[in-house]
Amino acid sequence: MIYALIALGYTMVYGVLEFINFAHGEVFTIGGFIGATFLIWVGVDDGTPLYAKVLYLAAGFAISVVLTAGLGWLLERVAYRPLRGASRIIPLLSAIGASIFLQNMVIVIFGSQPVIMPTAVIPSGFVSLMGVRVRVLAIGIIVLSIMLMVGLTYLLKATRIGKAMRATSQDREAAEMMGIETNRTISFTFVVGSALAAVGGVLVAMYYGSLKFDTGFLYGLKAFTAAVLGGIGNIPGAVTGALVLGLVENYGVGLTLGWLAGLVAVGLAVGLYIQLWRAPNKRIAILAADGRAEEYRERILRLYRLAPYHAVKTVLTERRDAVLRLTARHAVRLTLGNVFLSGMLVAFVLNAGYQFSSKWQHAISFIVLMLVLMFRPSGILGEHIQEKV
Amino acid sequence: MSRIRNTSNAPALPWIPRWMLALAALLAAAAFPLLVEYGVIQTVWIRVGTRALVYVLLAVGLNLIMGETGMLNLGYIAFFAIGAYTTALFSSPRFGFEVPFWPLLVMSAGLAMLAGYLVGLPSLRLRGDYLAIVTLAFGEVTRYTFNNWESVTNGPGGIPGIYRPTVFGYLVERPIEFYYLILVFVVLAVLLVANLKNSRVGRAWNALREDEIAAEAAGIHGMRAKMVALVISAAIAGVAGSLFAYYQQFINPTYFVFMQSVIIVCMIVLGGLGSIPGAVLGAVVLDSLPEFTRQSFSSWLPAIFGRDFMAGWPDFLRTFFLDFDQYRMLIVGLVIVVMVIFRPEGLIPDALWRREVHQEDPREQEHTLQTLFDIEEGKQDLEV
Repeated sequence: MIYALIALGYTMVYGVLEFINFAHGEVFTIGGFIGATFLIWVGVDDGTPLYAKVLYLAAGFAISVVLTAGLGWLLERVAYRPLRGASRIIPLLSAIGASIFLQNMVIVIFGSQPVIMPTAVIPSGFVSLMGVRVRVLAIGIIVLSIMLMVGLTYLLKATRIGKAMRATSQDREAAEMMGIETNRTISFTFVVGSALAAVGGVLVAMYYGSLKFDTGFLYGLKAFTAAVLGGIGNIPGAVTGALVLGLVENYGVGLTLGWLAGLVAVGLAVGLYIQLWRAPNKRIAILAADGRAEEYRERILRLYRLAPYHAVKTVLTERRDAVLRLTARHAVRLTLGNVFLSGMLVAFVLNAGYQFSSKWQHAISFIVLMLVLMFRPSGILGEHIQEKV
Repeated sequence: MSRIRNTSNAPALPWIPRWMLALAALLAAAAFPLLVEYGVIQTVWIRVGTRALVYVLLAVGLNLIMGETGMLNLGYIAFFAIGAYTTALFSSPRFGFEVPFWPLLVMSAGLAMLAGYLVGLPSLRLRGDYLAIVTLAFGEVTRYTFNNWESVTNGPGGIPGIYRPTVFGYLVERPIEFYYLILVFVVLAVLLVANLKNSRVGRAWNALREDEIAAEAAGIHGMRAKMVALVISAAIAGVAGSLFAYYQQFINPTYFVFMQSVIIVCMIVLGGLGSIPGAVLGAVVLDSLPEFTRQSFSSWLPAIFGRDFMAGWPDFLRTFFLDFDQYRMLIVGLVIVVMVIFRPEGLIPDALWRREVHQEDPREQEHTLQTLFDIEEGKQDLEV
């Protein structure tokens, strides 16, 4: 759920500006640091009465949200606004620079040691939910996140500024012509995104008890993965993506060997299906449009079935028949790809069976990220931005 | 729209030809270790110089994909890591292999190229910013693999005891010898990239960077041209990794963290995207600046101005200059943001790139007009 909070920030900024705010992870860290530092500073301990604890905690959240939102506003103002209208790669570089700067700022100000959240403000109870022991805090986080998301949806769908945000994200120039102050709207987007990140930061600090200067980088990346997974620029998508990523990460590591064997079987089956059925039939279908399918059907099927031998031979010998040559070339590539992928899969599973542990937890989300971006960049729920010409 | 190229003959300093500057830089680089040999500066500088040269190699290689082709690659260090690990595994007591220098260098470069090819296949069709993220993820996955695949790479413990290389029958042992060895490869890489830049594929890269759709319409096979760029730059990184492993004699995954990729990107942005002298300068400056600052404030300046010349300074300034390493990235981040906003073409800009970022600048238009004028007089050749 925390991924969801951060992912929302990414998605909102991307939706409006079509650019990846690299520094978002750092904004999140700073939010957490401010909250934790405030709570340390007021000196909450076990002796503090409950109402005071709640009050302090609320104040911590509030201060962190306000300061971090201010930071988000400043960031947009200083690092991104002057670059509006530049080519795509330039603001990205600026964002990377800002990210480095903020991260080192945290080191300089707060030191490179992790900040420890006072344990007194962390609810330590467990409740039993359908036979599973769950931390009270986890439930609190989920409830709070859902509340924030509902609020955000309301903000976007039912208020004036929300409408302005949606308009800006669709077409900035047109929005401006309609009398929307796009610069203010974009600033506002950054403020809201940073505020959500601040809440996320404090929650993470509470959940894990501490926060380090580089925590934000990993969280930022994972949140970005979640946003992409669900379809970037799309708010329900960000939440879905975050949930899926959370599940994959937690259960992906716990997969047993049997599951992994199943994975290999499915992978091989898909490979074989494509090789023997889908690819040749697609080729035949293309040819059928010219009415030449029957002439080639048998030969194409043979190419894919016995690809290694026949296809290589065809590539080498067929000089005149372009259709056969191209098909054979495709078949060879497909076979090589399949062999390579299944080899990787088997090697991965063997290795995993040999030593699968939580070490890979972070790597999993990177792998998910790569796969999603490569094969379905629009995400599960689709991209929310209009194609611009 | 036809574009005019004059990247090669736009002088950095108008009154000196470019090749002379390059020669001067090369001579300076070659003479630098002599300062150490004759005790003018401390021996630590030879190490600083060697490391800077490795970064120069990396920056020149990354410049090929980032500056020339316009693809932001945030996982460049992965190719470096692959080269380094290949060398470490095949020339150390870890598995008892001892492959000679040249075959192993080719192997390291080859494996890095293969990795580049495999990553490029699916990812090169992505938009610029997505590509950046995929390469970032690739870099991290590579590092996790080296970190976790303990049966082969010994995990976080790293691989110690990499053998010294023998180049043309000569055992390279002392830091100064490594310095010259790496310098030779830097020169080779610079020559390679400079030639590629003005070749057919180089022009294709620039065209793709400026407008991908228009370039494809003009008959450039975008995927293939990008792949060539990626693979060549991966090879340069592989060579750099191999040399680094030989020089360091020990590697572990912490050398290949994400921050390293970012630093190389910063070097190029600082020096100027698409400009080879820029990449060299950026790498040298960013890599040796902390040591330079520390040395100058702890020994050189006191020697000149007297021991306590900083006595009157506020505390934070003193710690700032003496522990500059701690603040390096802070400054770098700030500089990058400022540079990108106020001087996006870098310190030593590439002519074409400068024109792209300052399209509305009247001075530049004048420059373009001047170039057009030159063409009419037959001084320059027009390429489309």
